[in-house]
Amino acid sequence: MRGRAYKAMLVVIAAALLAGLSRVQDQMNRDRELLGLTRVQPLENAPPVLAFTTIALGGFRGLISNMLWIRAAELQDEDKFFEMVQLADWITKLEPHYIQVWIFEAWNMGWNISVKFHDYADRWRWLRRGMELLRDEALKYNPHEILLYRELAWIFQDKMGKNTDDASLYYKRQWVGEMGQIFKQERPDFDELIHPATEDARKRAQLLRDKFKMDPAFMKEVDKLYGPLEWRLPEAHAIYWAAFGMQVARDNPRRINPKDLITLRRVIYQSMLLSFQRGRLEISPVSFEFGPNLDVIPRVNEAYEHNFAEDDMYKGDIQRAHHNFLKQAVYSLYVNNRLNEAARWYRYIAEKYPDRRLLESDFNSFPRNLTLDQFAVDRVQEDVKDTSHDRTKTAVEGLLVNFYSSLVLDQDERAVGFRNLARKVYDSYEAQVPKGREQAMGLGPFDVLQRGVLDRLLDPEHGAPPQIRAILRTKLKLPAETAPAKEEAAPAQGSAGK
Amino acid sequence: MQGLLAIAWLTWKAALRFRLFLVIAVLLLGAVIGLPLLIKDDGTARGFTQILLTYTLSAITALLGLSTLWLSCGTLARDIEECQIQVVAVKPVGRWQIWLGKWLGIVSLNAVLLAIAGGSVYGLLLWRARQLPAQEQKTLAKEVLIARGSIKPPDFQREIEAETDRVLEERRQKSNSGPVNWREVRLEIREQIKARFQLVPPSSMRQWRIQLGVLKSLLRDQPLQLRIKFNAADKSPSGTFVGLWQIGVPQKTAFWRSDPMSLAPDTFHEFEIPRNLFDQDGVLTISFANDNNTVLLFPLGSGIEVLYREGGFGLNFARGLGILFCWMSLLAAIGLTAASFLSFPVAAFFSLGLLTVALSSGTLSTVVSEGTVAGSNPESGVAGHSVLDVVAVPIFRGILAVVRLVEDFSPIDSLSSGRSISWGELGAAFSQIVLLLGGSVGLIGMAILSRRELATAQGTQ
Repeated sequence: MRGRAYKAMLVVIAAALLAGLSRVQDQMNRDRELLGLTRVQPLENAPPVLAFTTIALGGFRGLISNMLWIRAAELQDEDKFFEMVQLADWITKLEPHYIQVWIFEAWNMGWNISVKFHDYADRWRWLRRGMELLRDEALKYNPHEILLYRELAWIFQDKMGKNTDDASLYYKRQWVGEMGQIFKQERPDFDELIHPATEDARKRAQLLRDKFKMDPAFMKEVDKLYGPLEWRLPEAHAIYWAAFGMQVARDNPRRINPKDLITLRRVIYQSMLLSFQRGRLEISPVSFEFGPNLDVIPRVNEAYEHNFAEDDMYKGDIQRAHHNFLKQAVYSLYVNNRLNEAARWYRYIAEKYPDRRLLESDFNSFPRNLTLDQFAVDRVQEDVKDTSHDRTKTAVEGLLVNFYSSLVLDQDERAVGFRNLARKVYDSYEAQVPKGREQAMGLGPFDVLQRGVLDRLLDPEHGAPPQIRAILRTKLKLPAETAPAKEEAAPAQGSAGK
Repeated sequence: MQGLLAIAWLTWKAALRFRLFLVIAVLLLGAVIGLPLLIKDDGTARGFTQILLTYTLSAITALLGLSTLWLSCGTLARDIEECQIQVVAVKPVGRWQIWLGKWLGIVSLNAVLLAIAGGSVYGLLLWRARQLPAQEQKTLAKEVLIARGSIKPPDFQREIEAETDRVLEERRQKSNSGPVNWREVRLEIREQIKARFQLVPPSSMRQWRIQLGVLKSLLRDQPLQLRIKFNAADKSPSGTFVGLWQIGVPQKTAFWRSDPMSLAPDTFHEFEIPRNLFDQDGVLTISFANDNNTVLLFPLGSGIEVLYREGGFGLNFARGLGILFCWMSLLAAIGLTAASFLSFPVAAFFSLGLLTVALSSGTLSTVVSEGTVAGSNPESGVAGHSVLDVVAVPIFRGILAVVRLVEDFSPIDSLSSGRSISWGELGAAFSQIVLLLGGSVGLIGMAILSRRELATAQGTQ
C-alpha cells in the first residue's frame, strides 16, 4: 500500500513538474531567442509529422539526412531525377534550420538538374521546384534567414533574368503567363490588390498571397522606391525578395549577420540595372521583346548611390558599376531620341566622374573632351572595335534594322534615335575616308544603305515574317505586297523530308 | 514427393498459425496503398509513375526479404530447438526433404505474397494512369508503361583491337629506346584509336549506322526513340551544348532533322524520332552536327542507342516480379542453411550479416579496384597499403563475383525506366540466383542438416 501511495505521489510530482515546465518553456524560448543564446530556434509553422520527426529522431536526424543525401547524389549521377523532389523534401525536413541544405537543394534543382533536360518545359518545372522550395518551404521555417531571400532573388535575377540558359526566354514567357493571372494590365493596380473590391480582384489578391507569397502593400512600396517596375519580368521579383530580406534584416537586427546584407544590396542594384536595360516588355501577336525602361534611370541611379554610401567595403566596385550604368543610360537615352535627358545625365557624369574615361579604347575620352554626340557615335564604333569598312557597314545596317524594328513596335521616338545614330556613325566614318579612296573604302550613299536594309526586311521569301512586313508597310505608307505571302510556320521540334 | 509437399504444407500452416502471412500481406498492401499518398513526385505523370514503381517495389522487396530471412531462420531453427523436428525426422522422409520442403513452403508463400503485392501495384498503376489526360497517358505508354528494347551501333571492338596491335607493332619496330612498358603504351594507343570512333570535333559531323537486322519488319510504322549521351572537352557558360540531329539519308530514305537542341553533357537524353527512317536493308543512319567550339565525345556502348517497343508493360512487370522472386528464393535458402547449424537468433544475425555484406558491394568493389583496404588519397591518386591486402583483396574479389551474380539484375530500375526485361534475362536470373547460388547454398544446408545430431539441440528447453 505504501508502495502504491509512493508511486502515486511520484506521478503527481511528475505531472506538476511537467505543468510547471510548460509554463516556463515559452518564456525560456522567448529569452533564448531574445538573447541570441542558440542558433537552433524552435521549429515554427511545422506540420505535426515534421514537428514529431524532428523531436523524436533527435541527433539521428543528421545520420538519416546524410544517407538520403548520398542516395540523392548517386541517383543524380545516374541521371535519375524523379526521386529528387522527394529526397530533397526529406533532407530539408530533417534539417529544417540548416539553411545551407535549403540553399543547396534549391540551387541543385534550379541550376544543375534543370539543364539536364532538353525540353524547356521540363527545365522550367525544375527551376520552379527550386524556387518553390525556398519560397514556400524554407522561408516558412526560417523567416529571418536573409540568405534565403538572397537565394530566392538570385533565381529570378540570374537564372530567369539573364540569358545564360538557352531556355531563359521560355522561363520569362512562363513567368509573364503566371503573372498574367494577377495583373490584368501592364501597370499593376496595387491598391486594387491591397483592398480588393470585386470578386475577381479578391481572387487575384489571394493568389498573389497564397501562391506567390507576395504582399501587395510591400510590392507597392518597392515599386515606389525602385520603380516603376515591370512586374511581369523576373527582375522586379528579384528586387522584391531582396528588398523583403532587407526589411527582415531591419526588423531583426540581432538575428542577422551584417556582412550578408551586401548580397541583398547587390541583387537590388544589379536587378535595377537589368530593369533599366530591358525592363520594358513588348508583347505583340508576333513578338515577345524587351526594351530599355528609361523611366527607371533616376531610381537606378539612386539605388547605386544609396548602396555605395552604405557600403564602405565595396564602395569602389559599386562606383565603377555606377559609372558604367551612367554611360549606358546616356547612350540609351540618346538612341531613344530623348536628347535633353541624355544631355542632363551626360552633365551628371561629368560632375560625378570627371576623371574617368568614357571609352575604353580612347585614353583621352574624359567627359570634358567629348560632346554628347561624339560620345554616342564613338560608343557605337567602340562596339564595332575599329573603323573598318565591313564592321562599320554592319553597325550602320544594324542600327537601321533597329530603326525599322522600333517602327514596327510603335516606338517612333526610339526609331528616330536609331536612325539619327546610324546617320552619325555613317558620317563619322565617311569623314575619315581619305580623299580619292571613297570608291574603295566608302560606304556608298546613306539612302542606298537604308533602302537595302528595308528591301531585305520586306523580301517575301527571306525577309521578316509576313505580319511584320505588313506592319512595316503600313507604317511607311508603302503599298501592300502584290503576291500573297506564304505562311511560314516552323515545326516545333524538327522537320521531316523525303 | 509426398513427404516434400507435406513439409511444405506444414510450413504454410505454421505461417498461417502465427499470422505471419496475414501480417506480411497487410504490411505489403499498406505499403502499396499508403506510399502513393505520402510520396512527393516531380510534378509529371511520368515522374509519379516512376517513383511509385520504384518505392512500392523497393518496399515490397525490403519487407518480403526481411520476412523471408526471419521465417526461414525461424521455421527450421525453432523446430530443432523445440524438438518438434524430432517428430518429423523419425518419419520416412530424408533430412534433405525436410530442408527442401521448408524451402518450397517459404518460396511458395513468397510467390503468393509477391503476386498479391505485385498485382496491387500493377492495378494501382493502371488505375492511376487511366485518370490522367489523354496526352499524359500517351507519354506514359511510350516511356514508362512499356517494355522497350534497345539497339546500339557496333562497338568496333575488333577493329579497335586490330588497329591497336598494328600501331603497336609499328612502334615496336621503330623503337630504339631502352625498356618500355609496352602494356601502358598499348593502353595509350588503344585510347587514341578508340577516340576516333567517339569524337565529334567542333563544326563537324559524325554518322552512326545502326543495323536493325531482323527487327526491321517489326519496327516498320513504329515510332522509335533515340537515347544519347555525350561528354564535352570543355565547359560551356550555359551548361549545355547545341546539337543538331539528322536521322535518315536525304535522297535515299525519308529523313528528319531536329531543330537545334540545347543538350547537357554527361547525361542521357531521350527523344522520339519519326517512323520509317531506315533503308531497305534495315540500316538507320543517325548524324550529329557539333555546332560548338569544343569536342564532344559519344562513348562507345552508351553514347547512342535506339529504343523501340518490344512488348507490353504487363508481361514485363511479371518478369520483373519473377526476378524479385528469384532473390527471395535465395534469401530463403540462406536463412534455412544458417538455421541448419545455428540457433534462431544467431542464424538470423548471420543471415542479416551476409545481406549487409552483399549490400556493401560498393565498398568491396572500391577495395578491389584500388587493390587495398587502406584506401587512396583522392588528391594525389596514390593508393595506400595494408598487410591485410594479400588476404582481403582476393577474398573481396571472390565475394564480389558471387554478389554480382545477384546484383547484375535490376528489375526495379528497368521497370521504372520502361526498359525490357527479356525472358533470357529472367532465365539467366533463375539460373544464376536460384539454381547456381541458391542450389549451392541449399546443398550445403541439406548436407549440414543431414549430419546434424538433432537430439542435442535443445537450447530453449
